[in-house]
Amino acid sequence: MREFVYEVFARKDRGEPLTHIGYVDALDDETARVYAWKTYDEQNWFEMCVVRRSAIVPVNRTDGPFAANRRGTP
Amino acid sequence: MPQFTDEEIKAKVREGYVVESPEEMTDGYRKALVVQLTVQADTELMSAPAYWMAARHAPSANTQVSAHAIIQDELAHANIAYRLLEDLGESKEHLVYGRQPHEFKHPYGFDQPLENWAELVVANGFFDRAGITLLSDVYQNTSYGPLKRALVKVDMEETFHLRHGEVWMRRLAKAGGEARDMVQRAVDWMFPMTIEWFGLPDDLKRHSGQLEYRLKGLTNDELRQVWMQSTVPLCAQLGLEVPAHWDDEKQEFVLDYPFPCRYDAGVKHWLFQEGQITWDEVFERWKARGPMNEAYVESIQRSRGTVERWLDSRAAA
Ligand SMILES: [Fe+2]
Ligand SMILES: [Fe+2]
Repeated sequence: MREFVYEVFARKDRGEPLTHIGYVDALDDETARVYAWKTYDEQNWFEMCVVRRSAIVPVNRTDGPFAANRRGTP
Repeated sequence: MPQFTDEEIKAKVREGYVVESPEEMTDGYRKALVVQLTVQADTELMSAPAYWMAARHAPSANTQVSAHAIIQDELAHANIAYRLLEDLGESKEHLVYGRQPHEFKHPYGFDQPLENWAELVVANGFFDRAGITLLSDVYQNTSYGPLKRALVKVDMEETFHLRHGEVWMRRLAKAGGEARDMVQRAVDWMFPMTIEWFGLPDDLKRHSGQLEYRLKGLTNDELRQVWMQSTVPLCAQLGLEVPAHWDDEKQEFVLDYPFPCRYDAGVKHWLFQEGQITWDEVFERWKARGPMNEAYVESIQRSRGTVERWLDSRAAA
């Protein structure tokens, strides 16, 4: 069962910034949406979205969880 | 990115340095963090089947919902902690599905059967309070950034579990009669169980590195005191007896029974009259695990292989 890591972002209310609130492991985008919504239910979020970790392109860091996406590129 | 020696990283975190990625960690730091997170994840995970066992005794549809909401929270907390472990190179798959029941690192309290509604709410009042005590200390002091951020959600929800426990303890205690007796019986075995949960007293404690790497701030004895600061007055207010009291001279809570001592898990009874035992004997009891250990782990791992086979055969077709 191959799961992917998804980063979860949410915004509390209009005018608030979208912030990183956590992660879920899921088989695909659809299950990631459900898991994120069910897992991070501590607030009534105005907006929530998920991004597959492998889709995040690091800009300046060469370490940390996103670095692997750029490894090997100059 | 900086490469630290063990001494350097200890000095850095003492000054408030926040570690953000595994690449910055020394081997010692990583190992200490993995131990801490494994205990945390396993505790959250094993609280779910324990609470689930008790949830069937919920007295109404509403309380069914609140009990299951707590279980859902615990599973999410476990998932978050295992996710953090995965980022440190550990395998969640192995940790959850690949270990034998006795290999899990949760406290002995979550190897016990919770057999009625009073036991569930006292577990929320005592065990979840222990969870908050330990995790708020981690939240305030941890040098690992991702863990600190993850604990915001956990803390919010643990506060709800605790409130659920305390509100119901109060309701049952005030009702008197059999309801009060049930709560008192639960308190009788769960109070010493939680006291023991905080582990070795400071004068016997070996070096674990968790304080030096700033993965926590308070010692075992300090955490035990923090827990008693809330729990002992709460019980006094509810007219429930606990084997501990405030000592004016020492300016701390002291236990009224030999600690540590023997426990008869079959009848949920602490054998105070047999006197103090060694911590080695306690560790032996913990290692042998409690009565529900296998059943709880089995209920978590049960259907994994089957569903995985269905999905794999679909993928292969
Ligand atoms: Fe929890
Ligand atoms: Fe909890």
